[in-house]
Amino acid sequence: MSDLEASLADGYRQSVRTAYLILGNRLDAEDAVQEAFLRAWKFRDSLQKQSSLRPWLYRVVVNTCYSKLRHETPRRERQCEFEGLDDQVLSDPSSRVALSHDVLDALRDLPADLRVVVVLRYYADLSERDIALAIGRKPGTVKSRLHEARRRLAQHRSLRTEASGELTREVVTG
Amino acid sequence: MTMIDEEVLTRALHDAADRVDVSEDAVKHILAEAQVDPATRSRRVREYFAERPRGRTVLVAAACLVVVGAIALPLLRSEVVGRPRPTPASTAAPAPPLGTVGLSVSPNGVAPNGTAISTPASGKSLHATSSTAPAIATSQKIESTGTVNLTVHRNGVAGAITKLTELATSDGGFVDSTEARVGTQTLSSFANATVVLQVPQRRFTSLVGQVQLLGRATRIITSSSNVTGQYVNLQARISELEVSLAQYERIMARATTIGGILAVQAQIDALQSQIEQYQGALKVLGNETTFGALTVNIAQPHLHVVPLRRRTGFDKAWHDSVSGFVAGFEWLVRLAGPTLFAVLLLAALWLLGRYSRRALLRRRM
Repeated sequence: MSDLEASLADGYRQSVRTAYLILGNRLDAEDAVQEAFLRAWKFRDSLQKQSSLRPWLYRVVVNTCYSKLRHETPRRERQCEFEGLDDQVLSDPSSRVALSHDVLDALRDLPADLRVVVVLRYYADLSERDIALAIGRKPGTVKSRLHEARRRLAQHRSLRTEASGELTREVVTG
Repeated sequence: MTMIDEEVLTRALHDAADRVDVSEDAVKHILAEAQVDPATRSRRVREYFAERPRGRTVLVAAACLVVVGAIALPLLRSEVVGRPRPTPASTAAPAPPLGTVGLSVSPNGVAPNGTAISTPASGKSLHATSSTAPAIATSQKIESTGTVNLTVHRNGVAGAITKLTELATSDGGFVDSTEARVGTQTLSSFANATVVLQVPQRRFTSLVGQVQLLGRATRIITSSSNVTGQYVNLQARISELEVSLAQYERIMARATTIGGILAVQAQIDALQSQIEQYQGALKVLGNETTFGALTVNIAQPHLHVVPLRRRTGFDKAWHDSVSGFVAGFEWLVRLAGPTLFAVLLLAALWLLGRYSRRALLRRRM
């Protein structure tokens, strides 16, 4: 098994979940990752440095997700509901599941550019430099988008009802 | 500024994502599909490998072309307009039919562009609306003359004379005479000229049209007359005189007395003189009907001459500074056009390159 094959096999689960957080739909996420992996395999020759495999793979996945968001916007909007939440759990607003549901709700309302950097940073645990490589932007842009995304999430209606001390914190700027 | 806590966000995202069940077998199928022969791939997988349509790239390239074209075309057009006019033969309006005045005349005798047109009272000049003028047979003899008064731009008299000469000589004609006057009167300068052109009859009307293009025509007079009868009459008289001359020559051969010889010789001399006179008239008429004569009066507007006044001191310094400022500003304006064009062109190329690079990178992914 080649290095790429191994990386794809190891990273499949996280890639699907990353795509799920970006697209908001499991079927779309699986579809996107399948397409991304096929494309990654097709263009495997363009990958020269082994050290950049992870951001490169995320770049393929993110580009495929962008492509899906661009071409399938009506369907995505119809199905972007972050499935899998149990009604019984949702009835308890203090549970972790309910909190994650609120965060996902706020995440869904973010623009795609901000949503992608949030997911790559706080779920995929990529550094700002690797995120910059993955989305083809400068690290400064990534930092700016992360900042804006966190600010918007804190102001989202579903998170403002929570105990603000737990979810948010004051950041002194300038 | 209030921001969401990073730990809370990380934990919430992991909680949400971990609830998604992912089949580990799926990746094996994907890799298996990726490694099989392209011809045997399933239809859905083939779609991923197929080249994406390049409509967007073509659209961007077309947009760039439109932008560059929209910028370049007006510039090119302004360049062409700024150049000297092409030869009048290529830009001349369709020549009016022979025997018509070259401009239409309104009921009050003024042309639509305000040019006054005088038409001779004699029956020689034809009406402006004679669009149904009969076709001229080759045997007919038409005599055409005309006068055009032209006003040319400043310092354009010499150029107009040169162009008139070219017009006349381009098709078998010639310049009959040229008279130019250049000088200065009190507070004004003047330059005018009179050029008489002789051109073949068939080119006369087109020449009138071409001459008008050299400046602003302020007066146009053309007249044509059919002198075929006069021509034939002269030819007939010459023939009769030649018959008489032949008879007198036969009489002369039979004359025996000195008185008779002198009397016949006197008649022969008179006849020969008449024949030569008629032949001369016929030749002149032939020349007039072979060539049409067009007199062109060229003038330029009177130019006011500003007397030079020597500037000194503050006046001179102020004048020099204003002149320098205006010259610098003119230079900036002249430079702005090409610079703006170059900047827009570079911007379009940069955008195209940026998009191409991204498209290439996206395709490699």
